[in-house]
Formats: sequence, C-alpha cells, structure tokens
Amino acid sequence: MTESKSVMSDGAFREQLQERRDRIDSASSQARKSFPVNDFARRLHPVRQYMKIGKVTELEPGTKCFRFVPDPARGTDQCAPFLAGQYLDVYITINGMTVSRPYSISSSPKEAEEGFYELTIKYVDDGLVSKYVLDNWKEGDEVELSGPEGSFFYSPLRDARTVVCLAGGSGITPFLSLAQAIVDGYEDFQMILLYGSRSEDHILYKDKFDELEKASDKIKVVHVLSDEEKAGYEHGFITADLIRKYAPSSEYSVFVCGPQQMYRFVDKEIEKLGLQQKFVRHELFGEIHGPAGMEDYPGTDMPEVKITVSIRDTRKTVTGSVNDSVMQTLEKNGISVPASCRSGECGLCRSQLVSGEVYVPKAVDGRRLADLKFGGIHPCVTFPLSDLEIIVPYAK
Amino acid sequence: MSADYDVIVIGAGNGGLASAALTAKNGLRTLLVEKHNIPGGSATSFRRGRFEFETSLHELCNVGTAENPGGIYKLFQMLGADVDWATGMDETFRLICPPEGIDVTMPCGIEKFLGALEKEVPGSAPSMVQVFKLAGMCTQALAAMDEPGATMETVEEKFPDFFKYAGHSITEVLDGLGMPKKAQRIITTYWPYLGANADVLDFAIYSRMLAGYVIYGAGMPRYRSHEISLALEKVIRDNGGEIWYNTEITEILVKDGKACGVKIGDREYHAGSVVSSSYPDLVYGSMIDGEEVPERGVKLANSREIGLSFLTVYLGMNKSMEELGIDTYSNFIMPTTDSAQLQQAATGTHDYSGYVIMNCLNKLIPDCTPEGTCQLFFTTLYYGGWDDVTDPEEYRKLKNDTAMKMIRDCEKAMGISILPYIEEIVIAGPPTFARYLNTPEGTPYGYQVTKTDSFIQRQVEEKSEQFIKDLYFVGAASKRGDGYSSAYLSGIDAGKAILARAREKGGLVR
Repeated sequence: MTESKSVMSDGAFREQLQERRDRIDSASSQARKSFPVNDFARRLHPVRQYMKIGKVTELEPGTKCFRFVPDPARGTDQCAPFLAGQYLDVYITINGMTVSRPYSISSSPKEAEEGFYELTIKYVDDGLVSKYVLDNWKEGDEVELSGPEGSFFYSPLRDARTVVCLAGGSGITPFLSLAQAIVDGYEDFQMILLYGSRSEDHILYKDKFDELEKASDKIKVVHVLSDEEKAGYEHGFITADLIRKYAPSSEYSVFVCGPQQMYRFVDKEIEKLGLQQKFVRHELFGEIHGPAGMEDYPGTDMPEVKITVSIRDTRKTVTGSVNDSVMQTLEKNGISVPASCRSGECGLCRSQLVSGEVYVPKAVDGRRLADLKFGGIHPCVTFPLSDLEIIVPYAK
Repeated sequence: MSADYDVIVIGAGNGGLASAALTAKNGLRTLLVEKHNIPGGSATSFRRGRFEFETSLHELCNVGTAENPGGIYKLFQMLGADVDWATGMDETFRLICPPEGIDVTMPCGIEKFLGALEKEVPGSAPSMVQVFKLAGMCTQALAAMDEPGATMETVEEKFPDFFKYAGHSITEVLDGLGMPKKAQRIITTYWPYLGANADVLDFAIYSRMLAGYVIYGAGMPRYRSHEISLALEKVIRDNGGEIWYNTEITEILVKDGKACGVKIGDREYHAGSVVSSSYPDLVYGSMIDGEEVPERGVKLANSREIGLSFLTVYLGMNKSMEELGIDTYSNFIMPTTDSAQLQQAATGTHDYSGYVIMNCLNKLIPDCTPEGTCQLFFTTLYYGGWDDVTDPEEYRKLKNDTAMKMIRDCEKAMGISILPYIEEIVIAGPPTFARYLNTPEGTPYGYQVTKTDSFIQRQVEEKSEQFIKDLYFVGAASKRGDGYSSAYLSGIDAGKAILARAREKGGLVR
C-alpha cells in the first residue's frame, strides 16, 4: 500500500475530469449523421424493396417467372445482395389488406448485383396469393419485396464438399440459383441435383440446367420422372437407393426443397442413409392448411372460435375456424399480421397468447424456450383449440 | 396539455425494459415502443435447427443465489421478474496464451482464487489480497455514488482514497501494489467486458467487476437472454404498461428544452417523460427539431469515439462438450497477454487480431442443447475499422475467413477438434449488430471508455449533462456504459428519476 501511494497522485481524477471538459469544449457542434456500417447494414437488409416487374415469362401453364428491377422513383436503387438459396417475401394488397408470401429466388446472386431478381411462382390449389399473382401481375407493375431472408444456403464451414440436392416441382428454384452461383464463382461445391418432375414436359428450366451442367464440372443434373418412363431419365421417386446411386463414396450433404408431400416421402428415404443430422438441410416446410393431417393433433369439439386480438391501441374480436391457423383467421378478417416464412421458423409473427388453448405441430414448432415459458406463439403455425386472447405486433 | 402517457420509452433493450418495468410497476402509465418484433435488443436468442443460441450474453455479474443474492438477483426480485438463473459455476475463466506458455484456469471464491494465483505466480497472493480489499472499498464507494444527492465531496468524505483508484489505471495500481506482471495479466483477463485495456481502464470499476465474478460466479438465464427480456415484458404488461412492437419513433417532441412526447407516423403522443435507448448521436442528429438540439450535448457526443464492435460465431455442435474436450465455460485465447497490445492490434482494422473468447453454455446449463450436442459462442473485437467493408461478397468472405481462424485458434490452443462437428453455424459481424441494434457502427458498447471519459467521470458529470429536461438516456450509451448489468441499472436510474420527478410535480402526471 505504501508503494501505491508513491506512484499515485491525488489529483489525477480531477485533472482527467478537467481534460474531459476541455475536450467537449473543443469538439464539433455538428451532429454526426452518417455511419458507414449502418448504411451497409441497410443495404444488406432493407425492410422493403420497391421494385417494378421487368418481365414475365410463362414456363408452363400455371407457372410463371417474374423478373423484378429496382424502382428508384420509390426509393430503391439496387437489389439487396443475397446468398443463393434465400427467399424474398412478396407483399400484395387484396381488398385493402396486405399479405405476404415467401418465394425462393431463382435468379443468381450475380444477377442481383447486375440489377434484378427472378421469382418463379406456381399456382397452388388453395393459394390465394399465387392465384392473385399469376392472374394479375404484369410487366411494369409496382411490387414490394422484403429483403433476402432464410438460412437455406451453403456454408463451407459446415457442409460437405459435395451436396446432393433433392428438388420436387417448383422446389427447383433455390437450386437454380445455387447452380448459377457455382458457375459464376459465388459458391464452391460439387452439386449433384436429383430433380423430381411428373414428366419431361413438367421439368422447369430444363435447357438452363443443361447449359449449367455444360458450363461447370461441379454440376451434375439427374431428372427423375414419376409418371413417365423415358431413356436418359430416371423413373419413379427420389429414393434412398437413387441417392446412393449418384452420391459420392466420400462425405456428402443433402439439401431438400419441394412440396410438403415430397418432404414426407423423401425424409423417410433420407433416414435410411444414416447421415449425420448436420448433413441434412431442408428449405421451409411451407404453410399448413388444416391441422387434422398432423400426427400429434389433439382435436377439438369446437368448430369455430373467437379470437380477440390487440394490436397497439386497437382491439378486435373475430370468429374463425379451428382448421385455420391463427394467422389465416386474422388475415381472412382483414387483420394484417407481420409474417415472413409462414412455416413456424422465422419468428417474425411472434405474438403473445394471453388466454386460451392452442395446438402447435411439433414438427414446425420454431418457438424459443422462453416463449414456451411466457406464452409466446407463432400465429402462422398455431391452431386454436378454444377461444383466444392474443397480442400481435403491428404489421409495418 | 393532457398527456397520453406518463412515460414513453423508446427501445425495448435492457435499459428500456428495466425503466418501463419500474415505472409501470409504480403506477405510471407507461408505453414502451420497439422497432423490432421482439424485446431485448442484445438480450435475445435465435433458433437454428435443433439449437437455440444465446445471442450476446457472456456472463452476468452479481447474480448469486437465493441464499446469497447479488445485486442483479435482488433487482429482478424487486421488479417481480421471473428469471430462472443458472449459477454455481466453479471457475471464472480459462486464459490461454500459447506464445507465452500460459494456460491457467482460475476458480471462483476468494480463497481459491488467491490459492490458484499464488500457485501460478508465486509471491502474488499478498498483492491480490490488497486488490480484493480495495475492490471492497471501491464497491462500497460506487454504491455511495448512486445514493440520491451524492457528490464527489460526500463520497470522498466517507472513502478518502476512492478517487485515487478512480483516477488511476488498473496497471498503475497493480504496479503500485507490487503485483508481478504475470499475475496482473491473469487477473485483468476480463478487460474486454468493459471495452478498454488495463492501461486505460480505471482500477475502481474493474476491481468491482472482478470481485463480483470471483465472489458470485457468473449467472446466466436458463432459457437464454430472451427469458430475461420476456420476464421484464411480463412485468410491464401485468402492471398495465403497453408495449408496441414493430413501431418506430420518427421524432422526439421537445419544447423549450423539455421532452414532452414522441411522434409515431403522423401522430403525436404526449408524455411527461421520454426515455431513449437510441444513442445521443441519433437523437440529436435526426430525432429532435433542430432548434431544440442542445449544442453541448452534440459536442459531448462528438468528443467521444464510438465503442468497440464484434464479430461473433455461433456453433451448434453434434458432439457433447465432454466429447469435444471442453471443460470450462469462458475461454480467453490470445496471442499476447498485454491488453494494450491486444487493443492496439484490433484498432482501425477489420482483420482478425488473433484474440478470441470462446464460451460453452453447456458447462453452466448442461441441457441447453439436445443430448450429445453443445453450443459454442466465439467472440472477437474491433475498435473501428469496419467502415470500409462495403462489398457484400468481400463481407461474406471476411466473415467466413475470420470464423475459420477463430475456430482454428481455439482448436490449437485447447488441443481439441471442432471443425468436423459443426451442425449449425451463424456468423454475425458489425453490420449484423447494426441491423438489430441500430446503434452507431453497430456497437453494443456505447461510447469508448478512455482515461478522460471513464464511467466514474460520466457519473460525476451526470447532472450537468442532462441537456434536455425529462429526456433520459438508457442502455450502453448512458453513463454506466456497456454490459447487461449496467444497462439494467441505467433503466432503473431513469425510472427512479422519473418517479422522483412525478412526486415532485405532485403525484402522478395524470
């Protein structure tokens, strides 16, 4: 202690305090307004991208490819960069209410740099949004998109050097982007694509994949036709045996994207391969229409329920079917809910359950642990079992 | 003017949540507005596959247990916030510096800590005893500074030596105590938690924190930081407070030097007090009418550097921590134990400096991931240097390369294998923090602590630096600086001041 007294002056603190005051006196009186890191963050993750439709291409009846270009007049002058495999939410306003749907980007990261995205949208049976888009969107229309979202992309630190990609129907879109990214040098892995279609006519982007396969020895494409037997094509479904036939003897990852029926089938096949969980990755499951088909659904006697919803300082009670998710019921009643993945995963719609009983399918329950403790729900995959009272975040 | 609310709080980070919880609990009509869809700011979590990752918390100081509660434990109890704390760690940290041949794990508890230090550096225990004694005095003095009406003079009267320790760096004091250099390096391992190296940081603040960790060990919420945020959210709502998510404040209304409300979209909401988690730079730069911007407030902000920023890597592993060979929670791995050199190497560059902190939450919460797995959390730091990263592809490559180096350094230093077992990986750089926190340059740390802008100086100057009446800053940009505990306390500071003002005005504002 005696030693410390010898080197430490009593007045140091007060001197530093005075120096602090002096530095403030001599500082600029113009507030800092620009921060480069924040500007870059906004460029990477814009809340909204204001685009125009540059081109519409019909690939087959009920499936169109839409090209979007930035609309500087409304404040967007470039496409936010993305990783091949990611998706964009498209916002559409039907009867005064805004809803969104996620679609994988089918164009390449390089093309986004050059100034456009493409989304390939297929008509689905009860698809309110896909029907509207296919019927109405035309060249020159103004459209709002989200920033790029999702975690279905390649990681050199995590994934194997070879990825066996399993695609079903319009689930081909992220793989088209990934294949182009390989050719463009944005991604570096061996892609073996097993692409399931009903018949040769139903294959999307056949020519494009032929070209990509020629352009790079890192890409191999195998078409699998379920309803047609034809030379040069595999016949049947994507099975464990088929994957084994094309997979390398070394380590490989499996990426899967397709409709829900495909996941149900293919997941059982993948299981037979005995791969480590780290080597199997899925794109979003997609919206669930009706909980009754889910294995763990407990059921309810009530056909209809009342949902009382508070958003900021408004409060409203609506009636809905127990077969609709909370999000679907609110949207059917003209109440916008913040949404992105609509598959239980992203958590953007996270709301507070104040009272009532709900069912969340275990397979798509993406809630955080503390949400389970405090009553947080993701309305996109939550089905009412009784009348509910909920607090929902404002939809921007 | 009739007020819509007694208090409007901007931002549901730790500071905003704590202040809103306190004012709501005490009967003030409280509105908390948050730009994002969930509360917490830094204090949150995210899911990937079968993992739920802790986002930013390394360890909370001063939690303790029900039998031996620390300040933070008592604070949450006072607010009625239900957090299930995981405590009971038996070591503070493991320090590994391969070039210097140091690999030491320091235990919790004063006696054990002293014993381990003496074993590692013979002859160091007597000076360490002095450090703990001084830490006790500094802790008491710092508490006295928080008393209402405290001034430098009143604190000095009770603790005559305190400002000497507040005015000297850790290194100056430890040199003065004759502590061997190697022992100094070991006990200053926690310096990144306060953001400045041992030659800069004052001894008073550091010794309080060190003693807190040694006495109480680290505390973590059982269900990641999201649990703390939701516990506070519940307190606010249960006490009649409102929370609006996905809602952005476009303007803070200030009239004649007094904050009186906010603007959301086209609508004005009036309130007796406004609490801001947004940094003064943003508030003065774009949220207040130009006429009302306080010149000295702007000068104060401009006299400071923006605090450090981070690159963090979150790994979900398909092996347990035992299988991987990890047995400590906090692992500090560095190319030199000289903290001034480490800070210098990380200054003005986005290149990885070789300094990495690796935490394994399973050590404290074994079931925080499924059986046979664990989660790892890597952190490295930067003092500026990211403003020239503007190319998305370069950024992606930089993130992957840096993550790879951090993992490799950790593998090498600990003699373990990590890379083949990564099931999930997420890498967050300063732009990620900027996106979610909306702080200048993405810092979670407020303003950089320096010799002439220390936490204690900020506290002494506090009264003369409230430039707008009824506007309170909370969070890392407040006088208490970075860290979860500091942010909670900053919220309590603001809440108490608002309650005192309400009483002074003759009861509640309504």
